[in-house]
Amino acid sequence: MKKILSRIFLLLLFSFVFFAAQSQQRFPKPEFESGYEQPTPTTPEPRSAGMEWADVFVLLAVLSMASWLAIKKRSRKGMIWLSLFTLIYFGFYREGCICSIGSIQNVALAFFDSGYKLSLTVLAFFLLPLIFALFFGRTFCAGACPLGAIQDLIVINPVSIPSWVRKTLDFFPYVYLGFAILFAATGTDFIICRYDPFVGIFRMNAPYIMILLGVAFLFLGMFFARPYCRVFCPYGVLLNWMSKFSKWHMTISPAECIKCKLCEPSCPFDAIEIPVNEKERTESSVRKNLKRFSFYLVLIPVWILAGGFALSKAHVFLSRANPTVYLAEILITHPELKTDTENLDIQTFLESGKSMQELVEEATLIRNKFRRGGWYLGGFLGLVLGIMIMNQFTMRKQEIYEPHKGNCFSCARCIDYCPVEKKK
Amino acid sequence: MDQEAKIKLSHQIMIISGIFSLFVASLLLFNFWHMYKNDPVESKALKAMVEQLSSDPGNEELITEIRNYDLLARKAYFTSVWQVNTGSYLLLFGGLIFALALRINTDLRKKITKPEGSNEKLFPARIKAHRWLLVSGGVIIALSLWAGFGSKNYLKSYSPQEIAALPDEGIEVVQIVEESSPNAIDPETIPETNEAQNEELTEQPESPANPDARVNKIHFGFEDFRKNHNTFRGPFGQGISFHKNIPTNWDATSGKNIRWKVATSKPGYNSPVIWNDKIFISGADKTTRMVSCFNRNNGQLIWEHEVKDIPGSPATPPKTTDDTGLAAPTMAVDGYFVYAIFGTGDIIAFDLDGKRIWARNIGVPVNHYGHSSSLMVWKNKLIVQYDTGKGGRMLALNTETGEAVWDIKRDNLISWSSPVLADVKGKIQIITSADPNVAGYDIETGKELWKIACMMGEVAPSPGYYNGMVYATNEYAILAAIDPSVPSILWENDEYLAEVSSPVAANGILIVATSYGVLVAYDAMTGDKYWEHEFSNGFYSSPMIADGKVYIIDMGGITHIISADKTGKIIGQPELGEDGFALPAFAEGRIYLRTNTSLYCIEEE
Repeated sequence: MKKILSRIFLLLLFSFVFFAAQSQQRFPKPEFESGYEQPTPTTPEPRSAGMEWADVFVLLAVLSMASWLAIKKRSRKGMIWLSLFTLIYFGFYREGCICSIGSIQNVALAFFDSGYKLSLTVLAFFLLPLIFALFFGRTFCAGACPLGAIQDLIVINPVSIPSWVRKTLDFFPYVYLGFAILFAATGTDFIICRYDPFVGIFRMNAPYIMILLGVAFLFLGMFFARPYCRVFCPYGVLLNWMSKFSKWHMTISPAECIKCKLCEPSCPFDAIEIPVNEKERTESSVRKNLKRFSFYLVLIPVWILAGGFALSKAHVFLSRANPTVYLAEILITHPELKTDTENLDIQTFLESGKSMQELVEEATLIRNKFRRGGWYLGGFLGLVLGIMIMNQFTMRKQEIYEPHKGNCFSCARCIDYCPVEKKK
Repeated sequence: MDQEAKIKLSHQIMIISGIFSLFVASLLLFNFWHMYKNDPVESKALKAMVEQLSSDPGNEELITEIRNYDLLARKAYFTSVWQVNTGSYLLLFGGLIFALALRINTDLRKKITKPEGSNEKLFPARIKAHRWLLVSGGVIIALSLWAGFGSKNYLKSYSPQEIAALPDEGIEVVQIVEESSPNAIDPETIPETNEAQNEELTEQPESPANPDARVNKIHFGFEDFRKNHNTFRGPFGQGISFHKNIPTNWDATSGKNIRWKVATSKPGYNSPVIWNDKIFISGADKTTRMVSCFNRNNGQLIWEHEVKDIPGSPATPPKTTDDTGLAAPTMAVDGYFVYAIFGTGDIIAFDLDGKRIWARNIGVPVNHYGHSSSLMVWKNKLIVQYDTGKGGRMLALNTETGEAVWDIKRDNLISWSSPVLADVKGKIQIITSADPNVAGYDIETGKELWKIACMMGEVAPSPGYYNGMVYATNEYAILAAIDPSVPSILWENDEYLAEVSSPVAANGILIVATSYGVLVAYDAMTGDKYWEHEFSNGFYSSPMIADGKVYIIDMGGITHIISADKTGKIIGQPELGEDGFALPAFAEGRIYLRTNTSLYCIEEE
């Protein structure tokens, strides 16, 4: 009963935050008729370069601290306090921006658009967690990511989900990553930032649908721990790749694993590798798996081609997310909107002096980029899917309990469950 | 502190923070409810004062009062916003404490369980995973293909030539002559006829068999129009029919006196028009616009053509409200051709056998309800009242070619009313009603002959004309009887004002129908009220006077038939069993009624 009440309460809590955000800017500006001049709107100055580097320094310090806490100190408590600091600093104080997850888009745009200058601090935010992951595992997720921190602190009664569901869901971060890069590379949108479910909570202001999404993620996160990190986070894909090669990854046991199974329920993210039951590895099962493995290996090029064709085919639909393409099409299909003085996009275009012909040409170029990008994106997703399917029929030997290097967030929960003492 | 004490403490913190948060949440809820109920932006008092100001613009005291009220409302609003913001932070603080305490409490209460290991079989799980991955990939590919094949690339349909012709106006006329035959007519060669000639013309064929015949065709006159029902509200749009022996009793449910009933292919609020044995309607939905011709004797569909391939026509039709749609304007027929206009700005002409003659788009209307003004036709001119969000405009198009004979800007706002034709001292005038002017125009040149500013708001009722007088009305304005020769308002009244329905006058009485169900008759010359009836359904349709009776269909599909005299006796109230918005058309002892789905012919046995 208490659990139900507490869950209802939490839902209520965040619903009110949503209402608070929605209530902003409802009142129209007064219309003055007595000579009063409306103040000219000004754009806030960007954060000074010094402060930007201070952020990089804080990130570096937090990453170092998280790596030390996970690998050397092996302290879950320390990690919780560090998460709280990250939540306050990078979450509520820096309002979720700048963040390493979103920096993927800046890097992608800089890579495809020579006119876009990538700031060094943004590059640092992109690279530092990856470098740390390459050596120490995903300690960024454990203590330096505000999105991870807000979800981690709300994990109350996590349930373990079947491995087939997890493995299927593992595909979706790749999809999100692919689309984020496509949209950023074409100069369309930074969808990771636009659809960041928690930034509205950090800022106490966002479109109501985003606040609602954030609340939904937090509510879900009480039972399905860190849903955003596990099902959507595009940066998690890169961290996963790096972390798989990490040299000094956190371990559950400080010494030799005694296979006591005590740590097995400790991970709310199901990121502990469990020893394989050798009885399942019969000769016939191995032969069957080999056949399937070979079949799906041959099928990978088909997946790549099918994905590329399908996504490139969808380029007309996808490119409508681009404001230039959207504007051009809306003016072609609804020319009467040119007289709509309340449509700021259209009025801005009309005042720019740019001709309709130029707009359509620009939109066509962008649409062509989407067609090419569709081939790359579809091919990439086809490749990932092909490999993931193929991997279902491989089996590594697993004899002890240890964290899955790619999926483990290095949160250090499991450490407290291990009875093995460190050898002096 | 021992374990039990910790559990107790965390429990107490949980309760205190929970109660605190619920209290703050309740206050916030009350605040929201209060803001919702007393939305200063929607304040009735403020609106009433602003409305009062529009009729008394120089009232300084009222202006000060409005400003003070506005300031007060803003203060109240921003105080509420502050309360919401502060409350949100308090709630967040309370919620965090509660969540933390709950988590500690849950952790402390956890009991050590014996590890049992996973029961999940490895291989079946992987087989399942691979299947779901296949499904995921398949879904993404299918969705992409669906999006790909279902999306039209409008950039490819862009034509630089079209836009080049209209750089400043945004969208304007893209005129075509669909059938650019060598037989195209010079309108100046068409001889005008007088009333005497009209008498001889009534037996002419409804459509020339040979297109060459059109070159020398003689236009039908008012006498021919009287024998038909060629435009919205009958001949000249004046709301008077000259047919006799019109039925007064029918019942669509039992089929009593229903000669025939046919389903229409597309919905539309336009009324049927008639020429000889043919009856015409138009219809439209979001994808298709249609013109249909039926045999009015047996309801048989003679021809039906889709209106498409018109240069300048928008690929996606403009948004309209459900009670207007894209086919609200009534067509016009002149004995040779039948003309239709749609909410897209498309105008099309067919001959009476269904051959497409010309089509053009006169600019997509900026109209938040949808274009509804009906067409009028006289001799070689098709009159289009085209008042949109861009301002007032009226065109006369050459009925043979669709080319503009004249195209004028009018000094008024957007309107939804239709023009009326009137023979004023031997010259045909176009009479229109819009905010703010009721005005008369020379049909030959489009020159404004007179105007009088007496309307306001969203004017939908068309003017009435009777015995040299013009009658105009609109909700929130007045009912005005205008002498156009001065021009001046002879009398006015604001007791009952029509919102959509147009006034009609004949036999010395003026009939006005309101959207809230009142039908009222005045002395057309003095404005004295003769009678009024209140019905349960309102009127969007307009009254027609035929055979000495007023015929008007209400929104519930009941036709009210009342004697068109000082007594206002109710003669009949037959029902259709369907909602009614269009006007009846009359011909040779029959009534033709159109609903959104059907066309009825009514004749007493």
